[in-house]
Amino acid sequence: MVKMFIESFKNLFSKPETVKYPFEPFPEPEGFRGTILYDEELCIFCDRCENVCPPGAILFEIVDVENNKREYNYNPYLCIYCGACVDVCPKADEGCLTQVNTRIKPLGNEVVKNKKLGYLINKIENPKEVEKAWRELEIRAKESREKYAEFKKQQRLKKRAQAQKAKETKTDDN
Amino acid sequence: MGNKIVVPFGSQHIALPEPVSFLFDTKNEIITDVRVDVGYVHRGIEKAAITKFEFTNVAYLLTRICGFCSITHAGGYHHGIEKLLDVEAPKRAEYIRLIITELDRIHSHMLANAHVAEVAGYENLFMQGVKDREIVMDLLENITGNRIQYDIYTIGGVRRDISKETAEYIKKQLNKLKDKVLKVYDFYDTDYTFGLKTKGISYISYDDAKKYNVVGPIARASGLATDARAEFDYLPYDELGFEVQTRTEGDVWARNIVRQMEVVHSIDLILRAIDNLPEGDIKVKYKGRPKGETFVRVEAPRGECFYYLKGNGTKVLERVRVRVPTYSNIPILKELFVGEKYSDAQPIVLSFDPCMSCTAR
Ligand code: SF4
Ligand code: SF4
Repeated sequence: MVKMFIESFKNLFSKPETVKYPFEPFPEPEGFRGTILYDEELCIFCDRCENVCPPGAILFEIVDVENNKREYNYNPYLCIYCGACVDVCPKADEGCLTQVNTRIKPLGNEVVKNKKLGYLINKIENPKEVEKAWRELEIRAKESREKYAEFKKQQRLKKRAQAQKAKETKTDDN
Repeated sequence: MGNKIVVPFGSQHIALPEPVSFLFDTKNEIITDVRVDVGYVHRGIEKAAITKFEFTNVAYLLTRICGFCSITHAGGYHHGIEKLLDVEAPKRAEYIRLIITELDRIHSHMLANAHVAEVAGYENLFMQGVKDREIVMDLLENITGNRIQYDIYTIGGVRRDISKETAEYIKKQLNKLKDKVLKVYDFYDTDYTFGLKTKGISYISYDDAKKYNVVGPIARASGLATDARAEFDYLPYDELGFEVQTRTEGDVWARNIVRQMEVVHSIDLILRAIDNLPEGDIKVKYKGRPKGETFVRVEAPRGECFYYLKGNGTKVLERVRVRVPTYSNIPILKELFVGEKYSDAQPIVLSFDPCMSCTAR
């Protein structure tokens, strides 16, 4: 009891152990698993990151079905910061998908803005709309995939029909 | 002699951050009966694991069962899936796994002990314990990149290496921690007021511990030397000279002391592991898909955690079953309350260090 009393008394005058968060930033160590940044120039659109992501925080939307143009979308408020996407990305070494050691601010009065965070998050202004917009995107992304699959199928059919026709004209010629 | 009064403990209670409900029937402060409900945080994780996730990324889900022993679930799953895929992690990876597992045990035990001190009315000791615990949290953050969810396991190895500098840093910090832990150990051991609140409370005899199949520090505090680290071969504990820590008193106090002894022993284990860290790869490649069934026993901070995995050759597993230590300890917990004072209910619950997120999943 007495020993504890002495210990407590010492604690009264020692340096505080706590950090004055949120007035001071909480220090992140080297190698902290923070935000995922993306570089579109380097991406080969292999979709591996989307497939591995456990909560589905990465979504590619096919905006132009005919040219297979895809847009990367990332939701930092859904991400669990596991880093699995960076592990599977074949272009990670070049810096296509990287995990930096800083964290983004919690969703308070403003939504973070950064070109490297993907398309959707940069379009939203009101923090209350993030969740709704993401739900809508999930549906849109799924539909765009179906549309793309349908388009591919049509193309294949067309090709086959053309080949058939070419064959027929060939046999006709003979 | 007094009427029967029902006193609820939970589902939200200030002493326990997790939702669990105990309804105590009391007569003159003495508990005569108790009803327990543990299902408040059921999240359907076992079902999600066999429907929504492939075996390559289901571990990220399973480790999020619990915030304390996420490494236990990572261990349970990965050792199992490695058996099914027939891969063996390199030695260096095994050592790194062991280091993280033991660091996790240290921080869990320190908080559990501090918590008991807090509900016994000894806030000072609580603060002292939690203050020292921060050293371990910083170490974990440094090695793995996160304080809680380490995600260091991967199939066939670990995801991050421990560099020379980090190894030195760990050693330095752990030596510092050891001094502090021994000091706090002394408080738990010799403090008079803390002893009054905890000695002789909720006694479990060796026979009872055996009969009710008690696991973890609670069993070891009653002299029952059960520890998956010694009984099941999953990490190189033998090589590092692991010893099961036991006491024979079987009360709240003994449980704290066992946990504190384990903290000290874990620090020794880690120091030895760092000194003998083998060179080599940290990861090997694996092929194929899981087929067949297997089980794994791993020692969580709270006791033995059991994993059962069944694969059918597809990407998605057919069954993932988890049985966590708290679940095995609930039957005896129920028995213990009867006859004790209501004011002792909190230390009793907290001395079991229950983890409801694990139990309900
Ligand atoms: S860090 Fe994990 S959760 Fe976040 S985007 Fe990558 S895979 Fe998804
Ligand atoms: S894994 Fe990398 S390369 Fe592939 S789609 Fe994702 S960011 Fe692009």
